[in-house]
Amino acid sequence: MDLLLQRIFDALFNGAIYASLAVALVMIYRATGLLNFAQGELATFSAYVGFLLLTPPATAGVAGITLVGFLPGLPWPTPLAIAGAVLFGAMAGALTERVLIRPLEGRPDLPVVNVTIGLLIAVNALTVEFWGTQARLFPSPFPSGPDDFVPVGGSRLRIETIGVWITLLVLLGLLALLLYRSKVGLAFRAITGNRESAELCGVKVSRTLMVGWAIAAAIGALSAALVADAVLLEPFMMIRLLIFSFAAATIGGLDSPLGALVGGLVVALAQTLVPAYVPFISTDLALLPPLMVMAVVLVVRPTGLFGTRRVERV
Amino acid sequence: MWERLASRLTISQWVAVVTVAVLLVLPLLLDPLPLRRIAGVVVLTLAVLGLVVATGYTGLISLGHGAFVGLGAFALASYVDVVGLPYAAALPATFVTCWAVGWVLGLPALRIKGIYLALITLGVGVVFPSLAKRFPALTGGVSGRAIDNTLEAPAWFGADNTITFRYYVCLAVCALLFLVTRNLLQSRIGRSMQAVRDDETSAAVFGVDLVATKTGAFALSAALAGMAGALQATLSPFVSHEQFTVFLSFRLYAAAVIGGAAYLVGAVYGVIALILVPFVNGLLGVLDNDVFVFGAGLILLTFVSPDGLAGLVRRWEQRRAAGEDGQDDGRDGGPTRPVSRGGGDGWGSGGGSELAGLPTPTRRFPDVTSGTSPPG
Repeated sequence: MDLLLQRIFDALFNGAIYASLAVALVMIYRATGLLNFAQGELATFSAYVGFLLLTPPATAGVAGITLVGFLPGLPWPTPLAIAGAVLFGAMAGALTERVLIRPLEGRPDLPVVNVTIGLLIAVNALTVEFWGTQARLFPSPFPSGPDDFVPVGGSRLRIETIGVWITLLVLLGLLALLLYRSKVGLAFRAITGNRESAELCGVKVSRTLMVGWAIAAAIGALSAALVADAVLLEPFMMIRLLIFSFAAATIGGLDSPLGALVGGLVVALAQTLVPAYVPFISTDLALLPPLMVMAVVLVVRPTGLFGTRRVERV
Repeated sequence: MWERLASRLTISQWVAVVTVAVLLVLPLLLDPLPLRRIAGVVVLTLAVLGLVVATGYTGLISLGHGAFVGLGAFALASYVDVVGLPYAAALPATFVTCWAVGWVLGLPALRIKGIYLALITLGVGVVFPSLAKRFPALTGGVSGRAIDNTLEAPAWFGADNTITFRYYVCLAVCALLFLVTRNLLQSRIGRSMQAVRDDETSAAVFGVDLVATKTGAFALSAALAGMAGALQATLSPFVSHEQFTVFLSFRLYAAAVIGGAAYLVGAVYGVIALILVPFVNGLLGVLDNDVFVFGAGLILLTFVSPDGLAGLVRRWEQRRAAGEDGQDDGRDGGPTRPVSRGGGDGWGSGGGSELAGLPTPTRRFPDVTSGTSPPG
């Protein structure tokens, strides 16, 4: 029983990460009907930028060029470096929308999907090109030593897990505030509801979407920076995570932020508990159960658990 | 006479003729080892062709075709070594196996539209190497394994020409499957696929069997990719999960889109890219990792020519043909040949060149006919 509780606690950490990435995916999907396959890779790249900020100026560079050498006080403390990564992520997201997505407005889905797939491949290759494939240490902003835990019923709830969950909840709160209490949020919700009407009412659709992409990419960068301590910073870390969070978003229903949260938990629990009790599924096969859950959900209930059914006109 | 013949061929046909000629004489030009390396990429034509069938013709995005290539390689290795079949039986058996697996994996495609299938297949592509490691008896586990019963050249071919022999076997299989696929895509089945791609609902209204078409297309696609893997294993008898990571899937998808997924000849352009990019990159020595070129190419092509190099070439040809209109009138099958002649050259789906390969969200009802037999 203690073991089960322990495993659930372990799953909670991943659940928060998947949920936050899934929320970012859902945001873009709701507004544009588009899944951003490059979400994970942009996040990895941003985390590496954060990693640059964590190293002393002499070594803070790529291929011998000190890119961030002009910044004062390097190396920065972890929270500040993460903030830097998040800021970079936001800029990268906005840039992606402006340069790659907006010009394709009104095109069929496939070219836009192809662009995000191309971006996934290209950004991943760039990360490998710049930083190599070896794993790096990226310290957690929360106490993450072997003794940093709260004993609950004989199991250990790690401080890091609590920290990640607080971050996630604060993040969701801020997002809700932004969406429901600000002008940009109102515009964003108008676009989500009916894009054409919003445009006719004078909502600046492109600019609002750019903000949306920036926020989504910033959330991605934050998740990558938070998970980097647990999985080690390496160029391929987000590909698996992206699939987990795709699964989370799909299970929850692609257009529901609450669904993304629930989906993230379901996926993390499936990922942790199934390998623990089914001997064939080793930990490196942990991807299999969430994938199967996703396939089953899609076949049985294509809109996910919390998604809205779409009616199509022929 | 030569001039007349030359002007009769479209650029795509020229590419095909030159490619076949180069492939046929390649063993005379190269040593066995480089030959084997290039041939290992050439056989990937089948995998890219599989994506042409699934993505270009039917609108099913697959980001996991590397897994099917791997499945084919492991299946061949198992049939040859564990079951003990001769190659003449093992290759068809591999085809059938991959067909069956593709059919099962394609089942979700019935309910799931484009983008979700991309997610599922991406997951399959990522999980495949880990899954392969779990069956060490068949796949050699972590370290991979060498195939014991290799394909050797018969006595009449010359026993020391093994690689050349394998190469020609692979070429023959590729040619055969290419022709079969071409004919299939030009038949009613191929037109059904395009109808499904352009508008599922309308296709169903017009009597296209959605279930059979979509699962069939995905199964054929998987079987073709599997054959690419089987041929790779035939060429170099060693299989390891490391060869079939998700990055192979990415490369294949990028190659298909860059080549032009809506056209049969797109598979040829795509594989030419798969061969040339690492080669040129090796010469220039700019990047450690040439995957970047495929990612960037995918983005660039989407802006420049969404239906890939094949579409680019086709449009250029049409412009040129329009320019010299009137002079070519009396000639049958000249460069002015209309795109819509479904049974014509066989090098393009002709799925309406502007929208080719794109599952269009536009829901204009009469358009369903343009999906099945496009206007010129």
